[in-house]
Amino acid sequence: MRMAGEEKPGPGSTVISYEPEMAEIISTIEQSGTGTPEHIAIVAEPMTGRSTMVAEIRRLYGDRVYYLPLEFVVRESDLPDFASLPYDIILIDNCQFLSTRRIGGFSVIDSFLRTQISSKKLFITTWNTFSWQYLSSVIHLDSYFPKRIILGRIDTPVLRDVIKARYKPGEITFLDEGIAERSMFFSIVHPKVNLPFMDDEITVPWIKLNFTVMIRKLPHHKRVIISVEDIIFEKINRIAGGNPGVAILLWDESLHDNTISFANIKEKSYSMSLNTNESFILATIVSMETLHENDLAAIAGSEMDFKKIVYRLVQQGLVHDCNGYYSVEPFALVPVIDYLKKTRRLW
Amino acid sequence: MADTFSLGNVTAELSIRTIDTNLVVYIVFVLIAAYVLTRVLSFLLINVSERIGWYRTTITMLIPLLKLAVYVIAFYLVLTAVIEPSLPQMIAFFTLFAAGVGFGLKDFFADILGGIVIIFEKPYQIGDKVTIGNHYGEVKDIGIRATRIQTPSDEMVSIPNGTIFSQPVQSGNAGDLAMMIDIDLFVRPGTDIDRALKILKEALVTSKYIIISDRYPFTVLAEDFPFYMRLRAKGYVSDLRHEFEFKSEVTRRAWAEFMKAGIRSPGFVPPSEEVASGEPVESGE
Repeated sequence: MRMAGEEKPGPGSTVISYEPEMAEIISTIEQSGTGTPEHIAIVAEPMTGRSTMVAEIRRLYGDRVYYLPLEFVVRESDLPDFASLPYDIILIDNCQFLSTRRIGGFSVIDSFLRTQISSKKLFITTWNTFSWQYLSSVIHLDSYFPKRIILGRIDTPVLRDVIKARYKPGEITFLDEGIAERSMFFSIVHPKVNLPFMDDEITVPWIKLNFTVMIRKLPHHKRVIISVEDIIFEKINRIAGGNPGVAILLWDESLHDNTISFANIKEKSYSMSLNTNESFILATIVSMETLHENDLAAIAGSEMDFKKIVYRLVQQGLVHDCNGYYSVEPFALVPVIDYLKKTRRLW
Repeated sequence: MADTFSLGNVTAELSIRTIDTNLVVYIVFVLIAAYVLTRVLSFLLINVSERIGWYRTTITMLIPLLKLAVYVIAFYLVLTAVIEPSLPQMIAFFTLFAAGVGFGLKDFFADILGGIVIIFEKPYQIGDKVTIGNHYGEVKDIGIRATRIQTPSDEMVSIPNGTIFSQPVQSGNAGDLAMMIDIDLFVRPGTDIDRALKILKEALVTSKYIIISDRYPFTVLAEDFPFYMRLRAKGYVSDLRHEFEFKSEVTRRAWAEFMKAGIRSPGFVPPSEEVASGEPVESGE
């Protein structure tokens, strides 16, 4: 399973925005082999670069890696006997599919974690942020992974580097429609913060004042030039909320004949007013990223009419149905996460 | 018109305006405006708070404070319109006023004082689930004289604010939107307790109403009694308005799994258990 926008190939599509995190993973892999392995968890929101990291690990350590991408909720019998595999690194993608939020839905992950801690192999696993946080609260998942790599949201300069790496210099034309004259005084950035009472770093949305734009408003001899390119990337990243996958999708949708203009970057608005059941199902889909209707029905239980709920979610443009698999619409992802956090469905 | 007041060594001439139609209209206008303003502020802030999510109670706690401020200003405007006092006159007036009401309207002013204490000390806030005396419910409004709570059976109970001086006040959430809920289930002695606790724990943590984090932990406990075992789940409901739905959902789902696992309710539960838990005994049979 892949979310759209994560796998766009290009000349430098590896880990442009997450070099320090990749270096940390490489360092942990290099140090493994002696003693108890330091298992790695790569944790990120949907479309925030987990697949890119996985691809890079496979590229670097292909001959040592057993790769298992999970695409739906698994049963215990779906998992191989890891001990018998002739590889010393087990790389499992989308580990949120190891459990479901229902009574009896934790047996597979319990069994998997018991296998993992008794193994001498190094396990590298990727998780959806919200599943990770939920499972850390419920079964103390974080204690099984000494090395946790958190992929946060990215800032505009990083996004620009990620996107421009896909093209040759000068290949893209940025249309100037006079937008520099009405550019923004501030932008939203996502600095990583290490709080004293938390083990992991978190990204915090923060307002950064664009002094260069302010300076432009000064008398002419102090003016500086703001490029159209800067303003276009600023808009894309603001709409995408720092999510690189969403930003790349928006870029692709706004780009026509290798030309992009400010006016062509369309922002969709979503007005959400969901009841408890709808919020719960939507939060479950966001946490799992993709769910088959059978799994969704099992989670919803007999109390909820899940077909009616998903109809309402699809009809509002928040979720799409792909042959019985439900996922959040990419452009609705950031507003949906904001809404569910505000209403305490995600935490 | 001028009257002379003497209070100890403070003697001042108090000028009282002639009561005419204009003055009466002015006073009525100030009082109505204050009332309307408090209603509008309450309406606006409650609507804003409903959209805020996590910080709902933070917004609503401003409401009684603003009401107090509006009424104090209104009282000041009325007072100055009638007597135009100087500072010594104000002191003398309030001293006499306080002495007078101390005897005549003791309870009424105890309620107002109670309102002021509630606003600043915050034993509870608008939106809290509280028990005051024998009444339990959600605080819907903190007025200058009384607090209105909505009971689980949707009755509005008006409790004089002075009650806080004589009765214990219990707040289930203390200004937070989440609230710890105890859910008790009773099973037969000899039940596979590990299995029962596992089911109850999973029913709790998979509830659509729960919030779990370091700040909002959960636990499940078992206690043995002569004729039954009590399983208790403690967890935070994400929004206290779903308190009873949360209890019901966890109970129903846990019992559905208990029945599949052959776990049965006891034949007998002493009535004292109902009193201790504050709720009727949950049973799956």
